[in-house]
Amino acid sequence: MTVEYVDAGEAVNQATLNYKTPGAEVAPPVVADVTYERIRNAASEPHNWLTYYGTYNGQRFSPLDQINTENVKHLRPAWIFQAGTTGMIAGASTYSFEAAPIVVDGVMFVAGWDGWVWALDAKTGVEIWRYKHAIPYDVSLCCGNVNRGVAVAQGKVFFVTANAHVIALDATNGKRVWDKTYGDVRAGESATCAPLVVKDMVIVGSSGGEFGVRGHLDAFDVESGEHRWRCYMVPKPGEPGSETWPADGEAWARGGANCWLTGTFDPETNLLYWGTGNPAPDFDGEVREGDNLYTDSIVAVDADSGQIQWHYQCTPHDLWDYDSIAECILFESKGRKLLGHFDKNGYFFVVDRTNGELVQITPFVDRITWGAITRDGQVTAKVYPEKEGDPVHFYPGPAGAKEWTHAAYSPRTELFYVPVQDTGATATRRRREFKESIPYWGAGVQVDIDDMAGSISAFDADGEEKWRYRNDLPMCASVLATGGDLVFAGKPSGEFVALDASTGEQLWQFQCGSGHHSSPTTFSVDGKQYVAVPVGWGGWAEGFLPGMLGAGHGSALIAFALPEESS
Amino acid sequence: MTTTAGDRSDLLDKLGLKEQNRATIGRLLATGNVGQATERANGTMQATIRINPDELCWDPSVLVLPHGGDLELELINDDLNTHCALLPNNGDRKFIWLVNHSRGRATLNLDGPGYYWFSSPTGNDEGRGLTGAIVVLGEVPPEARLDRPEQPRP
Repeated sequence: MTVEYVDAGEAVNQATLNYKTPGAEVAPPVVADVTYERIRNAASEPHNWLTYYGTYNGQRFSPLDQINTENVKHLRPAWIFQAGTTGMIAGASTYSFEAAPIVVDGVMFVAGWDGWVWALDAKTGVEIWRYKHAIPYDVSLCCGNVNRGVAVAQGKVFFVTANAHVIALDATNGKRVWDKTYGDVRAGESATCAPLVVKDMVIVGSSGGEFGVRGHLDAFDVESGEHRWRCYMVPKPGEPGSETWPADGEAWARGGANCWLTGTFDPETNLLYWGTGNPAPDFDGEVREGDNLYTDSIVAVDADSGQIQWHYQCTPHDLWDYDSIAECILFESKGRKLLGHFDKNGYFFVVDRTNGELVQITPFVDRITWGAITRDGQVTAKVYPEKEGDPVHFYPGPAGAKEWTHAAYSPRTELFYVPVQDTGATATRRRREFKESIPYWGAGVQVDIDDMAGSISAFDADGEEKWRYRNDLPMCASVLATGGDLVFAGKPSGEFVALDASTGEQLWQFQCGSGHHSSPTTFSVDGKQYVAVPVGWGGWAEGFLPGMLGAGHGSALIAFALPEESS
Repeated sequence: MTTTAGDRSDLLDKLGLKEQNRATIGRLLATGNVGQATERANGTMQATIRINPDELCWDPSVLVLPHGGDLELELINDDLNTHCALLPNNGDRKFIWLVNHSRGRATLNLDGPGYYWFSSPTGNDEGRGLTGAIVVLGEVPPEARLDRPEQPRP
């Protein structure tokens, strides 16, 4: 006798199994009127954190001052959002919570690893909606299953996926509006950056510099997702800059220069300021003789045309994996429009952002042995992988004196605050044949697990160090500066600290239970200031702090606030 | 040592790796059958995945799609125990309970190329064998490919 099957029905979205009060799965339409003008004037609405760096200038500074040097000692967790992970995900051992939470009028939008985006009630931490993009288990990821965050505008939330899609979601319900593929996963491309909305465009860069790809920056129409322009960061033969690559062969086609982090923008110059990644292969320079433009460069790109207007290369012919992807902080000093950039190579560069002219260069880490850069910008390489099989030790290691995590600048103190990693590494050149999707380093690399140090260091625009907050371990998380004259920084060992922006004195700390490798932001709801920090150790820990490879992962987003009686 | 691909199936059988609680305690992952989805004229795809009695393995445990897009999946639990399925999908993962002798459906949207795991996230079904893969073949769209000469692949 045949027994009829029980009808199991249709599979449901997993989010429906996370109980919500009826109606609570829809966010108020707070993003509907987030326009280019509002983002451009984000500093005028400090209760929000509207764009990746808070403002287009990349300062990671908020004027909010309810939490200040006097009362920060009372700061305590207001809520914790725990995402966790289920099933088998790409980079199961390397996922990390690295985003910068965006907040618009009481709603937080944040990206996680493995294709997650959440909308949360910024006052309570309760999930409103979630989006989960399916990420291939076998996608090429040099540095972990990570994502740096979202952008918002015109009713939409924008983010990129590890398989190189840029996606627009309806900000009220998390449903997909448009979805464009802008990288080739079979070539080793991926995407990790937070998009930047400029005018009516979403700007995103590509990842994959360790796989011998050709880095690019892309612009898409905010409304339709139509592709507007692509700017390759390695020129083809015959294009300007191509003379810095071998004339024969295809080194340029595998040259790297990925834009794997978010850039900044000056509406007055109409220029995007984007840092580019390492050349490929990272450590084997013989196969790519020349300066290898526009790798390891600060590149100014016209926002409308996508054309490169000027560049400043921080490490010509890089042999140490010294990406220049770090933020380009825009500021004014002595009547000049300037740009500050802390590079992986250990030097703090200040250039004129109207034309790329060098203003000053200063080392910001104690140990630099790879080479030297003079005050006028002359670069001399000293120690590098040269002979096949010959180990070479150098400082800083390939994660740099500062990794991708961001410095901050306070216009109140006129100081830059930089997270410093003082760690060396040994690289042994091992040439290999190029094949698409296979790591293309040209060396075996081991980063030191001892004799390391870190700090939050404060510099003025002339490169003079004003104070240093020392740490036994390298500092591997972004810094946040506030109008309360505080500098917030997370440690690899889990402590989240608040420092006096004028002196570096530690005023408060909280043990978050996992190491920090993200970008904290601050906002206020109903007049109450919060500081939010994603916590979840992982990513490329073997590169920036292998001595902490054994530390536990985390997946929490913690929002701190003052108790009622202290605010 | 005998490790060639040709005799992999025989060796799995000989070592007791093709069923649960013989060599391993559960069922070793990715030792089940391989199947292919069928493609309809409109480009959508269809496939059926079963759980056979006492095998603790999806059948097929590796489902191959010709390209990215929409997949209509039928899930049949012929086992004598209750399982479930957590499936990859763009938008949100899909979940379905599969009580003994039940049949359900899932509609999935997946990008290609690449592969995705799916599983039965109850107890330790995932470790004991009910973890399978969906493989999506193909290339990314032409507009997403790098402007460079064809490069060698492995």
